Amino acid sequence: MADPGQLELIHAEIDGELNAQQRAELARHLLADPDVRAVREDLRRLCTALDALEQIEPPDDLRLNILAALPKTYRPRRAFPARFWRYAAVIAVMLVGGAVLVETLRGPETAPRDVAGTMAAAHAPAILDTVRLGNGPVSGRVTLYRDGAALGLEFELVTSAPVDVLVASDGHTLRVNGLGRKDKSAAPRTTVALSGVAMGEQEVDLTFLMGGRPVGSATLRATGPR
Amino acid sequence: MKEEDDRTLVRRCRDGDRAAFEQLVLRYQKAVFNAAVRLLRDPEDARDVAQTTFLKAFEHLADYDPSFKFYSWIYRIAVNQALNTLASRRPVGEMSGEEADEAPGPDQRVEGEQMGREIEEALMEIKPELRTVIVLRHFMHLSYHDMADVLELPEKTVKSRLYSARQLLRDHLLQHGAL
Repeated sequence: MADPGQLELIHAEIDGELNAQQRAELARHLLADPDVRAVREDLRRLCTALDALEQIEPPDDLRLNILAALPKTYRPRRAFPARFWRYAAVIAVMLVGGAVLVETLRGPETAPRDVAGTMAAAHAPAILDTVRLGNGPVSGRVTLYRDGAALGLEFELVTSAPVDVLVASDGHTLRVNGLGRKDKSAAPRTTVALSGVAMGEQEVDLTFLMGGRPVGSATLRATGPR
Repeated sequence: MKEEDDRTLVRRCRDGDRAAFEQLVLRYQKAVFNAAVRLLRDPEDARDVAQTTFLKAFEHLADYDPSFKFYSWIYRIAVNQALNTLASRRPVGEMSGEEADEAPGPDQRVEGEQMGREIEEALMEIKPELRTVIVLRHFMHLSYHDMADVLELPEKTVKSRLYSARQLLRDHLLQHGAL
């Protein structure tokens, strides 16, 4: 019985695909083994018979039927060519691969950590003066600060009723309405920028109004950071 | 030379020349019909397959890449169409190579035309993918390379299928005393 290697040589010989070396190798097998000769003879007869099978003439009306069934005019129905999909697939694989590579190089995402202590702002305001208020209809604290090139006030007021504050400094006047809260434990912080007030050694006068009437006053001095 | 002619005809078809398509039908209808007959063994089904093959080719001429052989492209359409038709039929027993029929006596040996009929019988008993390579090689006389193009398979796979198909046909013919 011919082995697979010998069979492959026989088939290749029938198909005219043998090179000189393979032809010599097959000749050695044929000389040495009568089974190989028998198989070769069978396959050659089979292939000769296959090649000799008659071609059948197509029906006479096949061509006419085909032509009759064609659309009246040729309208190309162009799909994306196979090459397009191959390129698209390659690009998609490259994108995904790139993303995976970047993520791999970056390593695992670091878990957020709790921050202990106080985080300083990039431009922490500098406190210039603070005044504490007490024992009247208006209590709490007012702070004058410098934030960059501007001055500002921060109010933490506890009042029995909403209070308005008149702010006067360097020839400018500003009115801030509706400050204060009754709850001492949660005095709201309100910041007000003093637009137009020049930086310098000036005073900032505050007048507290309740119901339109003055109920207190305070002065802060911009003498430098504390 | 013929390939250049095919490409010229295809270009004319794309330009709306129906006569050019008729030339392609004349050129390939016999090969397509015969391939379908060998794969299906039913002339009516083969006629339908051939007709559908050319209609599909006409509709999709814009998809044909002229850098490939036109006949590889249209044979591929025909083979796929025939295999689809086969798949829609009821499954029939296929020869696995291990089934042994009754051994024939000497008086059952056949020659010539009878061998041809035995081959046709045997062809219908092997798997369609094996039958396809026999049809492409022995009835359409394609090279390994062209067969690989038609089937969109590596040449190595095509050869392996062809050798297996021949072995099964040989076994069948030996069992029926036709070799």
